[in-house]
Amino acid sequence: MRSDYKIILDLIPENSKVLDIGCSDGELISLLENKNISAQGVELNQEKVISCLEKGLDVIHGDINVMVEDFPYNQFDYCILTQTIQAVQKPDVLLNTLKKIGKNIIVGFNNSARLSKVLSFLVSGSFDSLLKKSDSDQWYNTDYIHPCSIKDFKKLALDLDLRIINTFNVNNQKKFLNGKIPSNLFCREVLFHIAND
Amino acid sequence: MRKITDNSEYPGYLLKCQEELLLDSGKIISDFQVAYQTYGKLNGNKDNAILICHALTGDQFPAEESPITKKKGWWDLMVGPNRPIDTNKYFVICSNVLGGCVGTTGPNDINPKTNKIYGPDFPTITIRDMVRVQKILIDELGISKLLSVIGGSMGAMQVLQWAATYPESLKSIISIAGSLKHSAQNIAFDEAGRQSIMLDPNWDNGRYPEKNKKPENGLSVARMIAHITYLSEKAFQNKFGRNLQEKKDLSFGFGIDFQVESYLRYQGKSFVDRFDANSYLYMTRAMDYFDVSSEIQNNKNKIIQNGIRFLVLSFTSDWLFPTKESKEIVSLLNSVGSNVSFAEVVSDRGHDSFLLDEPQFFKVCDGFLKGIK
Repeated sequence: MRSDYKIILDLIPENSKVLDIGCSDGELISLLENKNISAQGVELNQEKVISCLEKGLDVIHGDINVMVEDFPYNQFDYCILTQTIQAVQKPDVLLNTLKKIGKNIIVGFNNSARLSKVLSFLVSGSFDSLLKKSDSDQWYNTDYIHPCSIKDFKKLALDLDLRIINTFNVNNQKKFLNGKIPSNLFCREVLFHIAND
Repeated sequence: MRKITDNSEYPGYLLKCQEELLLDSGKIISDFQVAYQTYGKLNGNKDNAILICHALTGDQFPAEESPITKKKGWWDLMVGPNRPIDTNKYFVICSNVLGGCVGTTGPNDINPKTNKIYGPDFPTITIRDMVRVQKILIDELGISKLLSVIGGSMGAMQVLQWAATYPESLKSIISIAGSLKHSAQNIAFDEAGRQSIMLDPNWDNGRYPEKNKKPENGLSVARMIAHITYLSEKAFQNKFGRNLQEKKDLSFGFGIDFQVESYLRYQGKSFVDRFDANSYLYMTRAMDYFDVSSEIQNNKNKIIQNGIRFLVLSFTSDWLFPTKESKEIVSLLNSVGSNVSFAEVVSDRGHDSFLLDEPQFFKVCDGFLKGIK
């Protein structure tokens, strides 16, 4: 199981209602459903939508940049955004929408400012290292249009009045309380738990 | 008293009901019958039944060869052995709707009270009335819970109505190219079609059946108008462009110059052979009156308790029942907290896409049905 999923499963209580944005083939939704958590996904790729349906999962086909607007307010206990925010056209607009439809938001991503990335940028002089999601990606065709660091996200959360409850270093499952964050230089993957109140 | 017999006029069966049916209009139909066809076998637990709801001009013969057109059934690509609605696995039921003209009681049947053809005396019916009659049929077949109720266009209206009115009687629905309510534009198109029929002198205030005539011109123009709404600008352009019909030059007259004119006239003409004008009036009116939003909201507890799974489908180029309207269904279903999925299928063939060979569409339906437990 993906390390970030493990944290999410521990975090969300039973009988919650969850929206998984960018749910791919529904792996996380299945895990949540097994824990008696009711989950729905949003996914752009129709083949992945079909795999969700085959598993008996609820999934909305569509572009998250616009689709999320159609969800009714206060409908979900948790909105989950893992490995997706850097591909969203306007992360601030999306987070503001999620604030209205969910009581909690969980955002996980790879820290673009970690030392290894920065060094490889310095050495190669190419943005590929920061923007690439897969080997076929180049800086000009990548989905990774908003690389961001742990510090960057913390600042955005402050700007949008989103209250960070906990932050996790996904790689060692370490939890940071009271607005503390993992090292911006050394943490590879981070997960923020945000509450709306 | 209810009795099921073989249908002597068409393949399939007849459910004859000697009883009164109270309609939404407050009027009553006494003694009515339902013509239906089935495919596949009902299993011992009676839990593999799927009801298919047909669209405005459909009938109870989605699969195999249609006895009406002698061509493949209108949903032959969807329903049959090894098709998405697999008749090796599922017991498929399809009935002609109330007010229809293929065996189920409609305006051209005899009113038992007067022993004359109903004609314009047939009461105005609603989508809910159609579904009431389908529920009676399902009860008579001894099926307490349908695995799924599936339909496109006017069929999607019936499907949503089923979920709203009889949530305890089904596990899932697939609404294809549908809406929560008929839009103003769609009511406008329906009205243009009805006016075309009613302004045909042969319509004769709806009394034409007893006088052995038919408002063929009116019905044919109604069909031509409607047919345009079933396609898309691109579908017309791809199919016909500005190609001329069996000529090299323009005629400078009002005969058929363009292929698209010939096509439309053919669509109109062939329609009058298989469809009845009064039925067309009653069924378009039923669509105009359709608005299921509040009933879904009022019955939300039952919908959730029964764990109904919804699949809402739309097509990118459908402008009659556009994706926006399917998304409204999804939003409402989400707001009541039901289990809803949605997919938009890319197709440039307009509203009619749901009747055509659209492999991606079939894959979505197939996947959803596989996931129903």
